[in-house]
Amino acid sequence: LFSGTGPVVVLLTVLQWAGRGLPSPVRPICDPRVLDRFIMEARDTETALRGCKAGCGVTGTFVVPLTNVDFVVWETKDTEEQALEVQSGMSLFGQALGAVRESVSRVAVQILIDNNKSNIHSLGQVLRSLHIQHKEVKQSRVSSLSELLHVHTNFLRGKVRLLLTNAPACQQNST
Amino acid sequence: MTNDNLNKLLVFCVLFCAQKTSIVHGAQALETKVALLLHAEPENPKCFAEGMSDLTCFWEEDEERTGSADQYSFIYTYQNENSSECSITALPAAGGKRLYFCRLSQTQLFVPLDIRVFRDDLLIHNRSLFIELVFLLDPPANLTLTSTGTQGQLKASWLPPSLKYMGDSMMYEVSYAMAGSHIGKVEEVQASSELILRGLQSGTKYKVRIRVKLDGISYSGYWSAWTDPVLMETMPGDLDPLIVSLSLIISLVLTLLSLLVLMSHRRFLLKKIWPIIPTPESKFQVFIYIFCEWLGHSTGGLWLRPAYFYSEEFPAPLEVLSEVSLGPALPSSALPPKASEALGEEDEDEKLKRVDSALEGWRETPQEHWPMDQLRAIHQHPAPWTQSSLLESHDAYVTLNAQNHSGEELLDDILEETLPLQVLFASGRTSSESRSDLGSFQQSSGLGRLSSQSSFEYPNHTWPPKGPGYTYMAVADSGVSMDYSPMSSSKIDDIGKGVIYTNEYKNEIPAHRRPIGTPIPFAF
Repeated sequence: LFSGTGPVVVLLTVLQWAGRGLPSPVRPICDPRVLDRFIMEARDTETALRGCKAGCGVTGTFVVPLTNVDFVVWETKDTEEQALEVQSGMSLFGQALGAVRESVSRVAVQILIDNNKSNIHSLGQVLRSLHIQHKEVKQSRVSSLSELLHVHTNFLRGKVRLLLTNAPACQQNST
Repeated sequence: MTNDNLNKLLVFCVLFCAQKTSIVHGAQALETKVALLLHAEPENPKCFAEGMSDLTCFWEEDEERTGSADQYSFIYTYQNENSSECSITALPAAGGKRLYFCRLSQTQLFVPLDIRVFRDDLLIHNRSLFIELVFLLDPPANLTLTSTGTQGQLKASWLPPSLKYMGDSMMYEVSYAMAGSHIGKVEEVQASSELILRGLQSGTKYKVRIRVKLDGISYSGYWSAWTDPVLMETMPGDLDPLIVSLSLIISLVLTLLSLLVLMSHRRFLLKKIWPIIPTPESKFQVFIYIFCEWLGHSTGGLWLRPAYFYSEEFPAPLEVLSEVSLGPALPSSALPPKASEALGEEDEDEKLKRVDSALEGWRETPQEHWPMDQLRAIHQHPAPWTQSSLLESHDAYVTLNAQNHSGEELLDDILEETLPLQVLFASGRTSSESRSDLGSFQQSSGLGRLSSQSSFEYPNHTWPPKGPGYTYMAVADSGVSMDYSPMSSSKIDDIGKGVIYTNEYKNEIPAHRRPIGTPIPFAF
């Protein structure tokens, strides 16, 4: 399972990327507490914006990945296929949150959206540290911000976590 | 029957028994979980997941509403998928109620699941849930208690539920209490299979139990049932330094309190342990006061203040022995009784009695002139002393004799306790060495040797008569101090004419009462 430096390394990596680009992380980031923090912040954002009037002023549809996990089916997939699902899903969420950020006017909503976008970028770094590649996968569409955030949370809790928990790079570090 | 058939039969029986045991065990576990959810989950249907791919939903119907399972339909729909139907099973429950179950063997997590229950095409229950959020696990297995080697500690270890992907998401609640006590403590631990219990009492048996639940980040659910309690005794401990120090402090405080109580009641305790020996001092004081009053009335010019009698100047080598007891032979008066202290040979009680009796006799006579009358009587009738005479023979009457010595020698000599007593009424004579007569006091023109005599040496109660010309003094010894009073000369007729020597007292004496003549230092 996860072991390693922790959120500090992730944060430093993100800051370095924000300033200079997207350098490759040195070591695999396998600490489960990293993803747990992302999941909790996504859930908090979903809860905070659930009662937003008129959808917080967000209109249109957004493409999102599917979140359902059948363990029996999931275990039949190899790690690469699993990683592709996760990586592409995170990419879709990044695009959708970017479009949402441009259409909201309330500062409080903007802060929450920015935080989730930052977490998605950080998670991308974690996936890259585990040598997970990007590929097109099955998609879905949502038509509201709350739906988008809800799917986002479910995706993190499910496929992303499963992938990181059983990432080969993290399994090699623990043995 | 052949051996092969027997073997097959044996295997079948074992499997059947094992399955039956498992079925029985499973039934008991299901019954426990149903009871838990009936208490913990308000919504219907109540659903729980036991593993990664199952979901069990049930609801309860009252007796009047119960029907066959065919009357009900369970429809479930995953998000973005088509609806499916689950087969329903009915089981009897307590109180005539019935439980209807639906169990799914293949599930999808992290996606909303809509559930609808119909009874005769009538929607009775509707619920949407995430299966990964309704886990109800079996209790941890193999709970074991071991000693850590440290006092007041126990180590609890267990086997976590064998669920893939969920080991790091499990949290445990460990409950421990002293055996026989219902008050215990609870500690939580996450993603671990052991816990060290600290702060336990030494040499005490503890019971420990544990339950499990998912932590709620990715997976969540309900607390499992408690395991069966496990008992173990902690290591016997040494004396706790805190307990020892507290015991010492308490002992010190109790000791101080006891001392305070004793000190506050010390007078009472001293009275009980060492009672005060009564002394006749009070009676002597009365006697002396009366005597002073008498002197004041009779002589007038003499010092008659009770304070006059208290002198602390010279230690007396001879003690005044007796008081005067008034006899019937002298009807006019008797010498005033004198408070005295025997030379250690008389009983104090007898002396007090004689004082009282003498006092009574004295009161009966006129107070003013009786000492002079007594002296006149003595002069006129110098009869030998008898028992009925003025002074009883066993009384000691001490007088002071002034002798012609230098002052310094006088003091040295007189301080000896073996000064002989002289005859009381011998006049003009120098001090004799006799010890057999009443002490007498001789007139002297200057400093003189002082000596004393005792009447103890005249067992026949005879006193050799003394000639006139003596000067006598009353001495009162209360046992605390010596009280002296110069008396008039034996030459009664010469009273007022002769020189009366008086001693020097430290007590303050009024000037108008100071007697005539030069003071003579008395020394014993």
